[in-house]
Amino acid sequence: MTDRTRLSGELSRIDDLIGEMAAKAGEALRMALLAMKTQDLELAKRVKTGDAEIDALQVEVEDIASITLATQQPVASDLRIMVAAFKVAADYERAADYAVHLAKAAKKFAGEPRSRLVERLARMAELDGKMMKGTAEAFRTRSPELAASVAAMDDMVDAEHKAMIDEVLDMMRERPDEAERAAKLLTTSGYLERLGDHMTNACESVVFMVRGTRVDLNE
Amino acid sequence: MIDPTVSHRAFVAPAVPAAVPVMPALSATASDRDDQGPALDVRNMSIEYSDGHVAVRNLTLAFPKRSVTAIIGPSGCGKSTALRAFNRMNELIPGTKTTGQVLFHGIDVYGSAVDPVQVRRRIGMVFQKPNPFPKSIYENIAWGARINGWTGDMDELVESSLRQASLWDEVKDKLKRSALALSGGQQQRLCIARACALKPEILLMDEPTSALDPLSTSKIEGLLDELKTLYTIIIVTHNMQQAGRISDMTAFLFTGDLIEFAPTRQLFVTPRDERTERYISGRFG
Repeated sequence: MTDRTRLSGELSRIDDLIGEMAAKAGEALRMALLAMKTQDLELAKRVKTGDAEIDALQVEVEDIASITLATQQPVASDLRIMVAAFKVAADYERAADYAVHLAKAAKKFAGEPRSRLVERLARMAELDGKMMKGTAEAFRTRSPELAASVAAMDDMVDAEHKAMIDEVLDMMRERPDEAERAAKLLTTSGYLERLGDHMTNACESVVFMVRGTRVDLNE
Repeated sequence: MIDPTVSHRAFVAPAVPAAVPVMPALSATASDRDDQGPALDVRNMSIEYSDGHVAVRNLTLAFPKRSVTAIIGPSGCGKSTALRAFNRMNELIPGTKTTGQVLFHGIDVYGSAVDPVQVRRRIGMVFQKPNPFPKSIYENIAWGARINGWTGDMDELVESSLRQASLWDEVKDKLKRSALALSGGQQQRLCIARACALKPEILLMDEPTSALDPLSTSKIEGLLDELKTLYTIIIVTHNMQQAGRISDMTAFLFTGDLIEFAPTRQLFVTPRDERTERYISGRFG
């Protein structure tokens, strides 16, 4: 038995970093949602400043994976873990950016924390949060089955987004003077819909990592 | 680029006793080279040494034409033994018993009517350590061709062979110098040129770069990419990264058994067998 302690150590470190990214990105989304609901603009600001930490984690994942590719020449499942790590880290980095967008939007919805449309945004963000957590768990436990079930949640996010579009269009027809607010609602809803797509992509990476097959979980 | 200018028909079979028939299918023509079957079709080949050790067991493998196939596996897995069996080199080891078939153009190279010298001309071999003859660079190419009945323009054959091995530009002004004065990497390319001069269809290579520095290794790896447009190359290598870089197909042997044979990309990304996965990822061997 040949010792590949160093490679195993790097793989383990990548697992830890992806887990940390997922936790921080998930927390950012939770805080952004709370900021929107409570109109806590200070909290929204903290989401924005905290994003740099998630960006730094992505860079660390990329650095470790790049150096490991160059020095350890991983193949087979080890190689697939490296490929998946690059992609999943990028997906979480992007997810965290969407959390920042949601936080920035908080003040736009001042005075209407309980409106039906803002509640819909909140439901989308909660679904996204579950997807982020589930994806990280699927990556950590190397579970393509969990990845597939997490990706399936994206349909619910998409349905909420579609309903949001319909409702906002109705709103624009009824109250054209609220066009700016309507546009903001649609943009924010679009961000949350894209966040779900990123988690779906990350779940596809998990399936590739474990099984070596490429699947489209978006169907 | 390779310049395959020399016709195979310039080789005239040397005089052989009437009792030794010449393999009919081994008269090379362009049409032979264009047919669709595998370059070498190995069927149920087993090899046993005189001490009873079975080095290769029931190997069945079809090598695709004009491609590079790497044979990998831990030391003692039988890969070099198998390689030497493909052109009957193992016969030079007393007591070695080979069973099964090695079909070349549909003819078993172990058939009683087959001349092993012809087999080895058509299925050439390059060894681990460069082994140039203690002759001039020119004669290293010319000698083998001459005794194999070459009647064409020898200067042209020497140049085209050296060009094929990407060595011409480095030695064209010193062809009469001793081949032993060349660097290790140049000597190995000379050996490849020497093999190419016999216009083989298949080149067997037994760890041809293991004794070379990274730059010489890189040159030979680049060379293989060009040579495979003309020849079928079967290479044994201990270097997994090299197998990944240069080969189209990879065969993994373990304790004499073929464990997996697949396109290289597939084998190195999604191996099917757990033993392959563990070996190529360096977890045993």
